[in-house]
Amino acid sequence: MTQDTHSRALANRLAPVALVLGIVLTTVAFLLSFLVAPLVLGANVAQTAIIGGEAISNKLLLSQKIFYIHVPVATVSFGALAFLAYYSIRYLATKNQARKPFFDTRARIAAEVGLVFIIMTMLSGDLWTRFEWGVWWVWEPRLTTYLILMLLMIAYFILRTAIDAPERKATFAAVFGLIACVDAGISYLITRFVPTSIHPVIFRTDSGLSPSMLVPFLLALFGMALICFALYRLRLRQVELNQRLESLKLQLEEN
Amino acid sequence: MMQAPVATPSGFSQFKTLLGKDLRLEIRSKQMLTSMGIYALLVLIVYGAALAQTAWGFNILQMAGGLLWVLVVFTSLLGLNRSFAHEKEFAALDGILLVPLDPGVVFLAKAASNVIFLLLVQLIAVPLFAFFFLASTAPAATAPFIVLPLLVGTLGIAGIGTLLSTITLHTRGKDVLLAVLFIPLVFPLLYACVSATSMALLGVDDFGDYWRSLAMAGGYDVVMILLSWVLYGFVLDA
Amino acid sequence: MDPVLAEIYSTVLDAAPFVIGAYALIWVVLLVYVLIIITGLKKTEKQMALLEELVASKK
Repeated sequence: MTQDTHSRALANRLAPVALVLGIVLTTVAFLLSFLVAPLVLGANVAQTAIIGGEAISNKLLLSQKIFYIHVPVATVSFGALAFLAYYSIRYLATKNQARKPFFDTRARIAAEVGLVFIIMTMLSGDLWTRFEWGVWWVWEPRLTTYLILMLLMIAYFILRTAIDAPERKATFAAVFGLIACVDAGISYLITRFVPTSIHPVIFRTDSGLSPSMLVPFLLALFGMALICFALYRLRLRQVELNQRLESLKLQLEEN
Repeated sequence: MMQAPVATPSGFSQFKTLLGKDLRLEIRSKQMLTSMGIYALLVLIVYGAALAQTAWGFNILQMAGGLLWVLVVFTSLLGLNRSFAHEKEFAALDGILLVPLDPGVVFLAKAASNVIFLLLVQLIAVPLFAFFFLASTAPAATAPFIVLPLLVGTLGIAGIGTLLSTITLHTRGKDVLLAVLFIPLVFPLLYACVSATSMALLGVDDFGDYWRSLAMAGGYDVVMILLSWVLYGFVLDA
Repeated sequence: MDPVLAEIYSTVLDAAPFVIGAYALIWVVLLVYVLIIITGLKKTEKQMALLEELVASKK
């Protein structure tokens, strides 16, 4: 336990720094992506025009700017889910009863932060879909997977609220959390590789990003990861404080 | 000194005993099969009303695979909800846990009985579906191949469903909760199976696509059944 | 404006509300989550006050 308290103190000290750094990085990324990174090229136009000394014969797309925040947020949400899977495994694997609540709380907060980032991914992605594809919803692999992922995370919390016994709640949640993470991966593979009659436009965002586009993207990625970590620690600190308070109250009532 | 021989039955005989118990109970009461069978028939009747206005200018064969799987998923959901009804009524699961059984064996026996019941219901429901909705259509020559996705899909549904119905056994609002947990989890399997079933019914130029969908469904089965089998012990202990 | 330039920039103005919306929604969701955490913290503080009262009454 001493190791826990030590690492906890360190993480609690790091969290505010991560939050500030995350906000700074995402802000810089935001400015760079709009002011420095060039607009990407879309469909061809009939004639060529000279813009800023360069010959352009394509439509310039502003909508792609969404990806500078959308993709980092999506990546970070996967990171949060990886932590959910990790702490679920640790919960199930440990024989030490006293350590179990430690892992359970962490798995739960990771799922919570993961859900927040999944919702952010869905919202920003959907606005892009609405503009570029002209529809609010299409059963495209990435969208489908994210919808399923969101439903799984919501189901995770519904499961938690449906069980009273704390130990059973934690065990069932760990089992379901682990399965949900595996299922999300399979879901992506299946919706992507199973042939269907729908042929959605596959967008290319990773085909040769120039440095002026890569830098804001990476900054946003690190910034979002730091914000995610800070929120996770903040929530964890609050929840653990509450747990300590509850157990104190119980002790006091017993005396 | 010789150790006293401890009479631990082998895993397979445990499996046979548990499965035999479920089957015998069902043969005696026929509760699960009748409720699932009637429910399947009711879903078909709802389809009848839902599709009543589309008889002309609409190729039902294109939707048949999907409709069939809606039927399978909802009927399975009903069956899975009831699959531990007997154990719950007589607190028999606690009895099972008193005997030092391998949880993996308990899982496999329950999943096997679920597979058998689901397949029996499908044996009636699928021909009924064809009778009601496909009579005037001309399915492709490959139509018999719908058996394979039904089989693979049922295996996966029973595997993950057995784990989830054990989880929801002791929860509040268990019927709804099972659906909430089950449907998103089974979505990838459903997606692959609908694809394979539709291709078999419609006929495709490149039948390799059919095998590809089937292989994806099979991959889901392997991963999910293994995972459920490994995790079942934790669920039973809790 | 030059018609070629007009065509090149034709989608930019239309896309602007969606781009702004996407960035705004992301920060709104983050803000809502922070508010949820703060609400939780306030609840914990209230519990703490109750606990203090309880301790005081026992003395």
